[in-house]
Amino acid sequence: MKHTFIDQYSHKESLLHKIDPRIKVISFLVFILFVISTPKDSFLKFGLYGVLIIGLILFSKISPWSIFKRSLVVIPFTLMIFLFIPFFKEGVVMGTFFLGPLRLEVTYEGLQILGNSLAKAYLSVLCMILLISSTKFSHLLKAVERLGLPKVMLLILSFMYRYIFVIYEEFLKMWQVKEARSVGGSRLFQIKALANMVGTLFIRTYERAENVYLAMCARGFDGNIRTIDNFQLRRGDVFFLLIMILSLMSVRLV
Amino acid sequence: MTRKAIEVKELNFSYPDGRKALVDINLDVYEGEALGVIGPNGAGKSTFLLHLNGILRGNSKIKILGIEMENKSLPQIRSRAGLLFQDSENQLFMPTVFEDVAFGPLNMDLSKDEVEVVVKEALKEVDMLDYIYHHPHHLSFGEKRRIALATVLAMKPKILLLDEPTSNVDPKHRRDLINFLKELDNLTKVIATHDLELVFEVCSRVALLDQGRLITSGNPLEILKDKTLLAAHSLEVPRWLSS
Ligand SMILES: Nc1ncnc2c1ncn2[C@@H]1O[C@H](COP(=O)(O)OP(=O)(O)O)[C@@H](O)[C@H]1O
Ligand SMILES: [Mg+2]
Repeated sequence: MKHTFIDQYSHKESLLHKIDPRIKVISFLVFILFVISTPKDSFLKFGLYGVLIIGLILFSKISPWSIFKRSLVVIPFTLMIFLFIPFFKEGVVMGTFFLGPLRLEVTYEGLQILGNSLAKAYLSVLCMILLISSTKFSHLLKAVERLGLPKVMLLILSFMYRYIFVIYEEFLKMWQVKEARSVGGSRLFQIKALANMVGTLFIRTYERAENVYLAMCARGFDGNIRTIDNFQLRRGDVFFLLIMILSLMSVRLV
Repeated sequence: MTRKAIEVKELNFSYPDGRKALVDINLDVYEGEALGVIGPNGAGKSTFLLHLNGILRGNSKIKILGIEMENKSLPQIRSRAGLLFQDSENQLFMPTVFEDVAFGPLNMDLSKDEVEVVVKEALKEVDMLDYIYHHPHHLSFGEKRRIALATVLAMKPKILLLDEPTSNVDPKHRRDLINFLKELDNLTKVIATHDLELVFEVCSRVALLDQGRLITSGNPLEILKDKTLLAAHSLEVPRWLSS
């Protein structure tokens, strides 16, 4: 039972993986800023940003299919919110549907907003997925630390990354034990068992937190977080940042 | 006359749920001594070790290397008495092995270069240098155990407190560990374990705990050969000793 779902592809070796994580964080954030500040009717620009991000994906040697699969996760959420917009935005009516007694009008402005939001959300998500898949989580943490994220937040994030799997595995193990012993049983019984497991998990997690804290104290933790980082900017990193900004600017100016 | 490294007087401790885990423990460990702490499950071995590094604080006077255990002396004591916890999962809490082993030395305010050096040394001792940039999560139980030991060694303690150091470690690395502990004869060691061979080879004295009480302490050979004594406390004389 080993899990690496967060940064599964971060151990590959490509030029993108080798770029300084700080530079990556900055350039991908800049990318997102450019995307979300694009006027809503410039679909050509969205297309070009898309080309840019696809180029980066190819460059990263991570299989595009896996990135695509991950990106689909967000589609339902975006759609849920945006599906209603075409019906409720006032403007030029494009078509009318009847759902029983309901009369729904799709407006041109509504559709535009939908397309715009979808494009922006999707591009941003692709960008984040690429960042996370091409950077080791521990490097990502250090990068955001160097960029000014408070150390406490940082420690919380690193604990999350460290223990999310442990807790998940604990749950899986309990589940397997339960499965191994349950032969039939009513649905209500199953639900009760699940509730018990969640309760146990809470208590265990609470105790674990306490023990981790004690283990930190045993090694001299006094509330101040000290970390080492060995990041060194190289010429290639600066080059990458400049190329990114240059490409983004040229799309903006198209 | 050698100095006392650990001095425990009338140690009593109950867990918050009221269970008495340690009762009237009096025990001294001298510098350079290796004390094996044996006893059945739930005897209080882990609880006892947790007191020696100030993680738990019963109502007693404990002195470590002559330093009284108080709130303000805790940092000093913790940098001198390194504790290997029974559960490595909780002891390895950083995202990579390197950062984990570096955690202690960094808290001791060593410089960046010094930290690098001690981390690598410690990982080499436990034969885990190749794993320096791995995530602790992806390691096997025994590997985590060895890394956890490295986190302790990296702090260069004067006293090693080890809670079941060989549990889940494969035979080769268990052997390496035993030999390694034997070599560290200038360190004071307190080792809680069920591994009687380890006790026999490494320890100069044995303390037998049961139900929170110190039953006896003395020469390893004498205690490990005492059939009636061991049987009375859910232990057994190892085969290789009885013949
Ligand atoms: N966190 C805790 N809360 C309550 N009781 C505990 C806790 N930890 C241990 N105990 C109890 O204290 C006793 C001694 O435990 P422990 O020191 O872990 O024994 P050993 O390490 O010798 O197996 C046991 O009866 C155990 O159930
Ligand atoms: Mg124990």
